[in-house]
Amino acid sequence: MAEIRVEHLTKTFGSLRALDDVTFTFPNGQVTCLLGPSGCGKTTLMRIIAGLEQQTEGEVFFGERNVSRLSPSKRDIGMVFQYPVVYRGINVYRNIELPLQSMKLSKQERKQRVDSAIELMGLGANADQDVSKLDNGTRQKVSVAREVARQPEIILFDEPITNVDANSKLQLKRSLKELTRSLSQTIVYVTHDQTEAMTLADQIALMQDGRIVQCAPPRDLYNQPDDRFGGWFLGNPGMVFFNARLSQESGAGFLRSELFPGPIAVKGEGLVDANVTIGIRPENIHVSTQPVPGSVPVELHRKSIQIGGQYLLALGVSGTDTLLKAKVAPSVGERLPSSGPVHVELPLDRVAVFNEGGNRIAAALYAVPVPETAT
Amino acid sequence: MSQAETPILQFEQVSKTYGNVPVLSEINLTALESDLTVVYGPPASGKSVLVRILTGLEHADSGRILLRGQDITRVAPAERNIGYVPQSFALYPHYTVRKNISYPLDLAGVPSSESRDVVANAAAMLKIEEHLEKSPDQLSGGQKQRVAIARGIAKRTDFFVLDDPLAGLDFKLREQLVDDLRGLKAATGASILYVTSDVIEAMTLADRLAVLSGGQIIETNHPEQLYRSPQHAHTMALVGFPPANFLRGTLEHRGDHLWCTTPLFAFPADIAASGANRDVYVGLRPERIHLSHRIGDVGDDEGPLHIAARVILREDLGGEDIVYLQADGIPLTMVDHDHHRGDDLNADVTLSIFPHHLTIFSADGGGLLGRGARGEGAAAIRAEAGAHHG
Repeated sequence: MAEIRVEHLTKTFGSLRALDDVTFTFPNGQVTCLLGPSGCGKTTLMRIIAGLEQQTEGEVFFGERNVSRLSPSKRDIGMVFQYPVVYRGINVYRNIELPLQSMKLSKQERKQRVDSAIELMGLGANADQDVSKLDNGTRQKVSVAREVARQPEIILFDEPITNVDANSKLQLKRSLKELTRSLSQTIVYVTHDQTEAMTLADQIALMQDGRIVQCAPPRDLYNQPDDRFGGWFLGNPGMVFFNARLSQESGAGFLRSELFPGPIAVKGEGLVDANVTIGIRPENIHVSTQPVPGSVPVELHRKSIQIGGQYLLALGVSGTDTLLKAKVAPSVGERLPSSGPVHVELPLDRVAVFNEGGNRIAAALYAVPVPETAT
Repeated sequence: MSQAETPILQFEQVSKTYGNVPVLSEINLTALESDLTVVYGPPASGKSVLVRILTGLEHADSGRILLRGQDITRVAPAERNIGYVPQSFALYPHYTVRKNISYPLDLAGVPSSESRDVVANAAAMLKIEEHLEKSPDQLSGGQKQRVAIARGIAKRTDFFVLDDPLAGLDFKLREQLVDDLRGLKAATGASILYVTSDVIEAMTLADRLAVLSGGQIIETNHPEQLYRSPQHAHTMALVGFPPANFLRGTLEHRGDHLWCTTPLFAFPADIAASGANRDVYVGLRPERIHLSHRIGDVGDDEGPLHIAARVILREDLGGEDIVYLQADGIPLTMVDHDHHRGDDLNADVTLSIFPHHLTIFSADGGGLLGRGARGEGAAAIRAEAGAHHG
């Protein structure tokens, strides 16, 4: 088994810098999802790892082996593409078995590998079927099973669910989840779909403008984004941001914003007077019809129903033209008026502080007065 | 919501067939002045035909269309004074963004000084001011669609039709553009008819929402009303994500109560009309199912109806999980907010439900019949369970 290490990878297409000096390790035996908006460089990175694209600068290592100049076939990796790759006219079993025939395996070993790939991908009922009779979700399962049966050290997935029809998506996602939790190979999985990444990954490498901006387990990335981009990109809707002012007064740090009823105490290393941004996930904002400790009055402009009957609230904050978005449970939203004055409270342990460059500042917030345990 | 409640657009009994296939059947639809009215329907429900008939690109077989109180059924497209944003970008590649936006105004002979202001306004609203001198091929997909919307709204009119303008765009771009479109509506005060096949987009944007399915308007109402109190099984099935769960059921008398029996459970029904021995559909919203990893003894706090199920897949959406389940061979979907359950793929779980969260529709026609009984329903279920165990 092998980790994948890329060092100072850069790729340019004319004046476009698709990858910008990326150094990163994909850990051995883990599922790493490359996630980001279109044009962020995720597919280019994967294609360079596969050898389908030549980097402008930098090196690629599989374990200790430098594969930077090897052709794709010499790299011994499995690849699953957006569209299923199957051999028409033969059945599912033969489709999976075909590449094994050139591998000098005993008949028994070959059968064992095909059977176990079929079981892993839930293809038992389809083994004798001609692939041309299958829907494209099941065909994609066959493509995956074929790569799994070859047992390469590394398998790369390039948006394998994107072009599968809606009816067979669930079964394919389930099979991929089963697969990713049981395989011991190093898996790189490229997707633009954050739900897919959050569901399948051991860790997500979030990409923006040709760089990996943060890599962390999915829930950590969601809860603790390193920068505003991560906060905004993940979530539906993403994190909401508001201007705030950080200041040092008599040796203590304070944060002021229209979203707090008064100054908030801030503890952290190297804090200076500065304009900052506070960010919070919409579902972490508390909304009520009556004031509560720590709340501020806002104006509910509009509420609309979202996933699972939750309500998305558009809230106007006096003194600013920034709209605040909050997402509340059905039981809370049902009791709110369709518009009018309400109160919001931001739980301080859920508020992130970002500097003017958009990077998160390590800072803990406390209601004033600061509790003794925090001093 | 419009204060005046004055209709700007009315479809009256509009029908259209292609050969022998009806594509729109007796459509009645009213859009109010200053409202954002959304027509939402799945693919092939008749949305595009409706837009083509409204914009005059096709004619209805029967019925009439009133716009601003005037019958426009036979009026030429150019005379209808509708601002139209099509689904595809359709930008002129050899013109700058500015020229693309001003083109309809130039054709209409609007003086360039006036057209310059209109373009500047539209560009500001859609945040594309810095791209005005670029050509379309220098823009991203989202920027191109903003230009297309800007061109549609640059027309001097009080009524706009937007035909699924965000289809095919990235999820994050859609999120931004939905915000922009609400802002646009607030800034212009115009009336907008917005057509989409995305239910979350529909519910987020709509002042009023018309549900189109199989060429028929199933129901029109405020989106929250449609979600909370659907009058038709199709409405409950189509309005909401993830889609509602449906079970087949039968109504029967048990003592003083009317009960509804489904393949997974039975519950006392609260139905006004007598409906014993009648086949029904029972609808259940995904957020009304509660999941426990305990088996058997889960208590009644989350509802007295208990179902044994297995987790097929748990999808993490960040703020919530969608959990796909199998209960006795029947697929169910639920929304779960507990992010501390760990990996429970293939786990056996117990689901709990309150009977009053179950909505009962006629299997014959899909009309609303009633709900599961509140309060005494739970006691009756416990008594039934006790009798069975006894």
